[in-house]
Amino acid sequence: MNEVILTMEGIDKSFPGVHALDHVSLEVAKGEVHALMGENGAGKSTLMKVLTGIYSRDAGSIVYDGRKVCFSSPREAQAAGIVIVHQELNMMGHLTVAQNIFIGREHTRGFLIDDAQMNDAARQLFRQLNIDIDPKEKMGRLTVGKQQMCEIAKAISHEAKVIIFDEPSAALTDTEIEQLFRIIRVLRNKQYGIVYISHRMDEIKQITDRVTVMRDGKTVGTLITAQSSKDDIVRMMVGRVIFEKPKTVSHVPADAPVVLKVANLNAGRMVRDVSFELRKGEILGFSGLMGAGRTETARAVFGADIKESGEVFINGKKVQIHSPQDAVREGIGYLSEDRKRYGVVLKKNIVENSTLACLRRYVKRGDLIDSTAERKDTTAYVAALKTKTPGIEQLVMNLSGGNQQKVVVAKWLISNSNILIFDEPTRGIDVGAKQEIYELMNLLVKEGKSIIMISSEMPEILRMSDRIIVMCEGRITAEFDVAEATQEKIMNAATRDIAV
Amino acid sequence: MKAALQKFKNLRFVKLIGFNRVVLILIIFLMYGFFTILTPILRNGSSFVNYNRVMSALNYAYFIGFLGLGVTFVIATGGIDFSIGPVMFCSALISGYCLTKFNLPLWFCIFISIAVGALFGSIGGYFVAFRHLPSFITSMALMQVAKGVGSIFTKTQSVTWPAAEATSSWYRYLVKWNNLPTGFVILCLVAAICAVVLYKTRAGRYMLCLGSNKEAVRLSGVDTRRWEMLAYILSGTLAGVAAIFYVGAYTTVQPGLGDTFNNEAIAACVMGGTSMAGGSASILGTVIGAIIVALMQEGILAMGFTISYQYVLTGLIVLGAVTADIMSRKRRN
Ligand SMILES: Nc1ncnc2c1ncn2[C@@H]1O[C@H](COP(=O)(O)OP(=O)(O)OP(=O)(O)O)[C@@H](O)[C@H]1O
Ligand SMILES: [Mg+2]
Repeated sequence: MNEVILTMEGIDKSFPGVHALDHVSLEVAKGEVHALMGENGAGKSTLMKVLTGIYSRDAGSIVYDGRKVCFSSPREAQAAGIVIVHQELNMMGHLTVAQNIFIGREHTRGFLIDDAQMNDAARQLFRQLNIDIDPKEKMGRLTVGKQQMCEIAKAISHEAKVIIFDEPSAALTDTEIEQLFRIIRVLRNKQYGIVYISHRMDEIKQITDRVTVMRDGKTVGTLITAQSSKDDIVRMMVGRVIFEKPKTVSHVPADAPVVLKVANLNAGRMVRDVSFELRKGEILGFSGLMGAGRTETARAVFGADIKESGEVFINGKKVQIHSPQDAVREGIGYLSEDRKRYGVVLKKNIVENSTLACLRRYVKRGDLIDSTAERKDTTAYVAALKTKTPGIEQLVMNLSGGNQQKVVVAKWLISNSNILIFDEPTRGIDVGAKQEIYELMNLLVKEGKSIIMISSEMPEILRMSDRIIVMCEGRITAEFDVAEATQEKIMNAATRDIAV
Repeated sequence: MKAALQKFKNLRFVKLIGFNRVVLILIIFLMYGFFTILTPILRNGSSFVNYNRVMSALNYAYFIGFLGLGVTFVIATGGIDFSIGPVMFCSALISGYCLTKFNLPLWFCIFISIAVGALFGSIGGYFVAFRHLPSFITSMALMQVAKGVGSIFTKTQSVTWPAAEATSSWYRYLVKWNNLPTGFVILCLVAAICAVVLYKTRAGRYMLCLGSNKEAVRLSGVDTRRWEMLAYILSGTLAGVAAIFYVGAYTTVQPGLGDTFNNEAIAACVMGGTSMAGGSASILGTVIGAIIVALMQEGILAMGFTISYQYVLTGLIVLGAVTADIMSRKRRN
């Protein structure tokens, strides 16, 4: 094997009530892509935050490039050549690509910023990575995938030797992921040490050389990717094998009534003339590429954004939905894909987040909240979703990414809505917990609720949906019963320009 | 040392009221000791320790306390209200004018005072919540309006509420009765009600949540505008209440003033642990903060300094408290 660039040993880190890292070790070699896997809350992000000086460690040693190091801020780590590409991108949309890359160390001529020189430097970086982005473009106009590539370019411009990707693919389209992998391979050839965190098993198989699995804050072990199967890794992660199989036939009875009907909906550029029906007890999958208008459709139906035209019927009756409040009153719930911005209330605890959408139900006389009842229900859902937390009073900002997602899911499960719109419900959720969420969804539809599931993960769509609608550029381009749907058909419809 | 501190922080009592509040209570005692030692030295022989000083400090704490309680709700939603001081004066002027010039019954004038406050709060709340104006600008504008309205209503005259022996002077019993601090009891009662509203009701829950992430609350099907506006209404209403306690202690109000009290009330809030970023607030902290502000002003005067020193200190306290808040949030991330 190659020369080792980074060794973390015996790393320990505790938060109040949580032993997040318990004697964790990790070794990364030059020119290797090292996967870090584990259930939600296993401690992956914390380990990387300890490495880059965001958190201080309680014990343990880090040897980097032959020296013992201890960074006290991300800036120091960056200066030494360890860079982290966060899932939530920290870019300024109104600045150009080049200005973003060189922020804080602008090239200057006298007192003035020398944009031309920065553009050249940025172009050079992109050439190294073999990507095609105009340095003069405004950052806000790029897709998430492109923005991430800029972040990578920024990383290598710091003369990094170790690059960490914390769930980079969660918000990328398939083609963007392809491109990301191509860049990662370029970096690997240039002898960078790369840490790659993801919950998607097929990515791990595709791109990584070794896998280190963490569980409950401990290292379980390290495998060589090529010599181990998916099942090996999953078993190491969750202690059991998870069996996934696609749905083959729709579970919805032929005579099930239509609960939601949307007719000729228009809203902005991304929702053009969208019509569909949702039936009782059905899981209706919405597939398509990122940016196909699925989220926009959901938001318009839910009243979060303004509708230009179109009608919405619930149980055959026409309804006016002008705000999320109207929608919730009509029994619709919408779980947003962007949990940081639209999902969680970070500074509040799990109870307060879980009951936010149906607090009315917990109110007794005089607007007083029945805290015993809400705590009881929250506890039940924390158990059902296996949310990892020291207690239900934990502030949501102290939970790991995946566990925050579970809290948002719980919010809508508790709300008892008849129609649930789940936008990327399992984003950032580990394989085991995904299973729990799928089972809960199946239970819900069995109880007579109906679900619209927007998902960019093809296996998820094929596994859960009774019927699949495919969108492309704001229009519905195809509709399949699950029995006739295949990955290929869906892909074709998702990339077709205009409906036939 | 570190372990002992951690142990102290874990005590039941400390956890219940919050470490920050325990420190503040200690500060009150320290300040009291400090003034007790320094006053005789600086003002050869005069003493800080006597009953009148305590009552006088409390007089100041009452109205700052009510203002602070009100603005705590606004800050909890992530906003700010710079109009409360002038609104309090405007309420006192208008209701006092009605009392002395129009001879309206006292109970009705008290009602007017509170109603004027509530009206200002509703206007501010409407613009912030429904028209999406920044609360900073809105409250600055209303501060000017309140100053002007008070002056116009009283024809730029100061208003003196009835003295202790006069008829219609029972409002003074709200502040002090037979040398007992009734005002303190009422402040504590109102604070208790505020605490219930903020921590135990749906309204309070929504206010705190929307201070942390408004979009998430809206997308949970909550009419955020209504609850945000309510915070401003509470703030204005409590400014109207504060007005009664101001005149109960000092009888005379002058038009065109009141803005220094904003800062002191806001200082009381942030000192008490209410985060300027919204989302977390402490009612108990605000009350303790108000007492500290009042004690400080009493001490400064007792030691023979002018009130200008109070302004300097209040300003520095705001800077210090907000810095501490931001640092503690950084450390947590
Ligand atoms: N600032 C904090 N305060 C308290 N607890 C924390 C804090 N940060 C993380 N934790 C806890 O530490 C544990 C590990 O969290 P971490 O974010 O490292 O998980 P993760 O492996 O990245 O999970 P995910 O896959 O969900 O992102 C979790 O139980 C989490 O609740
Ligand atoms: Mg994580």
